[in-house]
Amino acid sequence: MSAETTSQNNNSPSSEDNNTAEEAAGTYECNICLETANDAVVSMCGHLFCWPCLHQWLETRRSRQTCPVCKAGISKDKVIPIYGRGNPNPQDPREKLPPRPPGQRSEPEGTGAFPNFGFGGDGGFQFSFGIGAFPFGIFASTFNFNDGRPAAPAPGSPQEAEEQFLSKVFLWVGIIFIFWLLIA
Amino acid sequence: MASMEKRLQKELQAMTKDPPPGVQVDQESCSRVMNEWIVDLEGATGTLYEAEKFQLQFKFGSKYPFDSPQVTFLGPNIPIHPHVYSNGHICLSILTEDWSPALSVQSVCLSIVSMLSSCTEKKRPPDNAIYVKTCSKNPKKTRWWYHDDTV
Repeated sequence: MSAETTSQNNNSPSSEDNNTAEEAAGTYECNICLETANDAVVSMCGHLFCWPCLHQWLETRRSRQTCPVCKAGISKDKVIPIYGRGNPNPQDPREKLPPRPPGQRSEPEGTGAFPNFGFGGDGGFQFSFGIGAFPFGIFASTFNFNDGRPAAPAPGSPQEAEEQFLSKVFLWVGIIFIFWLLIA
Repeated sequence: MASMEKRLQKELQAMTKDPPPGVQVDQESCSRVMNEWIVDLEGATGTLYEAEKFQLQFKFGSKYPFDSPQVTFLGPNIPIHPHVYSNGHICLSILTEDWSPALSVQSVCLSIVSMLSSCTEKKRPPDNAIYVKTCSKNPKKTRWWYHDDTV
């Protein structure tokens, strides 16, 4: 903007050289800091910036990266570094400026109704299931000596008939259950 | 911070050397503190605001030019315009979300002059009374709702 305007007011012939120098400098001014661009990059739309300036702008508007001058879409990969002859070992300015570490966001603590509800990480949510004391159950029921159960009733008594009946009922229930398991 | 002051110096130089028509920086205000400027505006000829004088206040944060300046009308004469509230706040998208670091004091002033110039009827915004009562001191804290592109 000030590129053409800076030299308009000093028209005296003595400052002729000065004029052209200023004009030339103005042509290569960064559009953000208004200084002669250093670590210059140019956008696809032709606008010149210092890479540090442009980088800061791109960081400011991460979600909507546009050219400051013409609002064209712009990104790190869509700008071209400019290498002048004076620089003995040109290096891509975009590599020079280390990209800043990305921001990290951690969850706030102790908010909401389920403070510890989450999977993995902080171990807030765990569960397990199984058959309690599995291998010992067999020993408990098979090798239980001396557990003081009453002796079997005398053969022919009504209690013996009742127990026989119950035993058959449970046997059939068991058979039906296994059959149902097989066909289901 | 340093880059902000450097850039403001450059802008001040350019504005002093070659001011746009009807725009004049109050040098005294800038010499006191660099981050607060007063700019005198004059309504453009042939418009509703012809020959009227206004004052704009610019406040620059440390992130300028990456962050927009705070711009409000100041003083006794606040233009009666559908986008200017009676407390001096201006509803203009380049002052908040459409800001770009390639804009400058000069371009903001020109935008405001042109906003005034394209006005066809002098009136306050329809929600002026309630806005002035409830708004924050800083117009950038207002969530502006830009809906009128005609003026």
